[in-house]
Amino acid sequence: MPQVKIVARNFMDMVASLPAMKLDKLYENSFICEAILRSLPPLAKKYVLQLLYIDGPVVATWLEEWVLADGVSKHRVAIDRLIQLRVLTENLERKKEATYRFNPTFQRNLQNHIAQGGILPREPMPSNITVRLPSLEDLDAYAVEQWEFFLLHLISSTEAEKSTNISSSMMKVFQRGLLSQKDDKEPPRLTESGFQFLVRLMDTNAQLWYIVREYISNCEERGLDTADLISFLLELSFHVTGEAYNSNTLTDVQRNIIKDLADLGLVKLQQGRKESWFIPTKLVTNLSISLADSSSRKQGFVVVETNFRVYAYSQSKLHCEILRLFSRIEYQLPNLIVGAINKESLYKAFQNGISAEQIISFLQQNAHPRVTERIPSVPENVTDQMRLWESDLNRVEMTPAHLYDEFPSRDVFDSACDFAREYGGLLWENSKKMRIVVKAEIFTQMKEFLRSHKQ
Amino acid sequence: MTPVSSKLYTVPTIFPQVLAFLNSILLLNQLNQVVVIATGYNSCDYVFDSASQNQNQRAERLLQNLEEFIDKDESLCREDSVKGPGFSLLSGSLSMALCYIQKVFRSGPLHPQPRVSLNIGITIISIGGVHRMKCYFGGFWGQEICEILCLHGSPDGPGQYVAVMNSIFSAQRSMVPIDSCVIGAQHSAFLQQASYITGGVYLKPQHLDGLLQCLLTVFATDLHSRSFLLLPKPAGVDFRASCFCHKRTIDMGYICSVCLSIFCEHQKKCSTCGSIFGQAQTQDTSMPDRKGKAPMV
Repeated sequence: MPQVKIVARNFMDMVASLPAMKLDKLYENSFICEAILRSLPPLAKKYVLQLLYIDGPVVATWLEEWVLADGVSKHRVAIDRLIQLRVLTENLERKKEATYRFNPTFQRNLQNHIAQGGILPREPMPSNITVRLPSLEDLDAYAVEQWEFFLLHLISSTEAEKSTNISSSMMKVFQRGLLSQKDDKEPPRLTESGFQFLVRLMDTNAQLWYIVREYISNCEERGLDTADLISFLLELSFHVTGEAYNSNTLTDVQRNIIKDLADLGLVKLQQGRKESWFIPTKLVTNLSISLADSSSRKQGFVVVETNFRVYAYSQSKLHCEILRLFSRIEYQLPNLIVGAINKESLYKAFQNGISAEQIISFLQQNAHPRVTERIPSVPENVTDQMRLWESDLNRVEMTPAHLYDEFPSRDVFDSACDFAREYGGLLWENSKKMRIVVKAEIFTQMKEFLRSHKQ
Repeated sequence: MTPVSSKLYTVPTIFPQVLAFLNSILLLNQLNQVVVIATGYNSCDYVFDSASQNQNQRAERLLQNLEEFIDKDESLCREDSVKGPGFSLLSGSLSMALCYIQKVFRSGPLHPQPRVSLNIGITIISIGGVHRMKCYFGGFWGQEICEILCLHGSPDGPGQYVAVMNSIFSAQRSMVPIDSCVIGAQHSAFLQQASYITGGVYLKPQHLDGLLQCLLTVFATDLHSRSFLLLPKPAGVDFRASCFCHKRTIDMGYICSVCLSIFCEHQKKCSTCGSIFGQAQTQDTSMPDRKGKAPMV
């Protein structure tokens, strides 16, 4: 199973890793081009605009000479990204300078967009149809509730009262990498990346992209075309929040997808008398924003006191579950969760692979506005103690190594010592008994060195 | 200083380029916002706000509002025809842009919007100039990063010196850089100073046919990226001031030692703060309160 890294940007990496043919086909949809452009780093966006109306290849130095010395790395990142996404293609001719050429489909789509302004992907429901639409607040509340419920279900299926419509096999897909189950009797435990997922959790967009990514790769296994799915999702993000769109504008595949998306809170489905509608929520329309810079964060709610007490002003069950991962929940009031961090609760967290640093950063990131004013927002004695408890567990450091002895002569021993020292791999030496312990990393170099000395 | 082409650029030639530029700003980030303010001889007004309008009729709406604005401004012109066509109201539109920015700043934290570094833009279009040249004046601002860009073609109105300088300083205080793109015949001393003081970019493109490319290359760059890019630097800044008494642009003059008001000739009493001045020691080497000025660009 591939190691999961929880980074929002990864979704675009997935797009970038699509085969060239598919990617070029994807760019025929102007919404994809738009979303891709928005996902780029700022400098890359600038380059796209700069090159947009230039036909034919552009010499690389033409772009480079705009960049000051300390921006070179950023320039490289931007250009690499553009080449990776096949927005630019690089031509390296012998003895000539590198040239970049704009992807013609991408270029044409963006030019059209700039000349004509954006077009909505679908016409919203005409206002003369009298159907009661949810207000924006209701819709937001619906989206948040649906999403939190999904997350709660994800971490502990026992806690969730009502069952979701998401099939358990789908849930398994989402859970893989986030939870680990040693045997069937034990309840599944959160893995390190699972906790990271939750810690960054307050950043809904990043999580959303992670889930969407898993969803897409799962659909791929079921034989759906990834490119179709990606283009549909990105297209959805260009709809207007709160407007109702007719479901019969969707294809059959899309209609199936949208049911799953409704369970995640991305859209709300509404059944009219004759026709059914779907209403995009804030979650889905924010999708293309979050690709670029997902620094959005909800207001903090946690207060940590010097006596290791944790007060969380929250009604969310999900928050309670997260706190339960590393603290002992003492009591719960309607809008307040009170817990205590102690050695036992932290050891439990450490066993699950959650580090003290992660917990501290979680507490800091979600500090209540009242305590964010003071620095540090989490009392120092608490953070120090948490780090100490963690280092208690790691008193012994393990380094894979090899022991060498029975050297033929002192000369060989000395030169072997010097050699290992040079490579920074000498861990221990005993010159009387002529024994050394060398890190396993330089085993091959060591072997060659000793072989050359044997002769 | 480049020789100015005799070709006049009017709304129909520049409009598509500016519109394309606005579209590209809106394209870059979903949260970007553009507002257009038109500036005439006698009035200035908001003609477009991307936050409140449907994106499907962006161009039509903008053009329609602009035409209405021009008609209104010209009718105002006829009413008090004593003055005749003067200078476009740069100070007025700058103040409007800054007010809008302040409104956005202050309502910012209340909005449940994510704190993303984004640029929202106001574009102010000004119509003016002695030769009936159409001028544009534009600006961009973001929720956290604010930025003003001026597309300007009218000569400076020395009478607006104080108001413009006040706007510039308030822009500086609220960390709003003012970019200037001069599309008129002459360099604009006001905008040179505005860009210099607020840390924006001042540029006078040599050929207006490539205006869009110039806008996209230089002015569409976000503030963060600017710190490591080589952007056009002004060859020099015209720091000359206008006197308060006759609104003349002067190289050398008298300034009040109390309130720093500038006068082109000796006065008995400061018209701004009322301080009484002593006798001028005229034609002396030791001229009182002499103010040296940077050479003209």
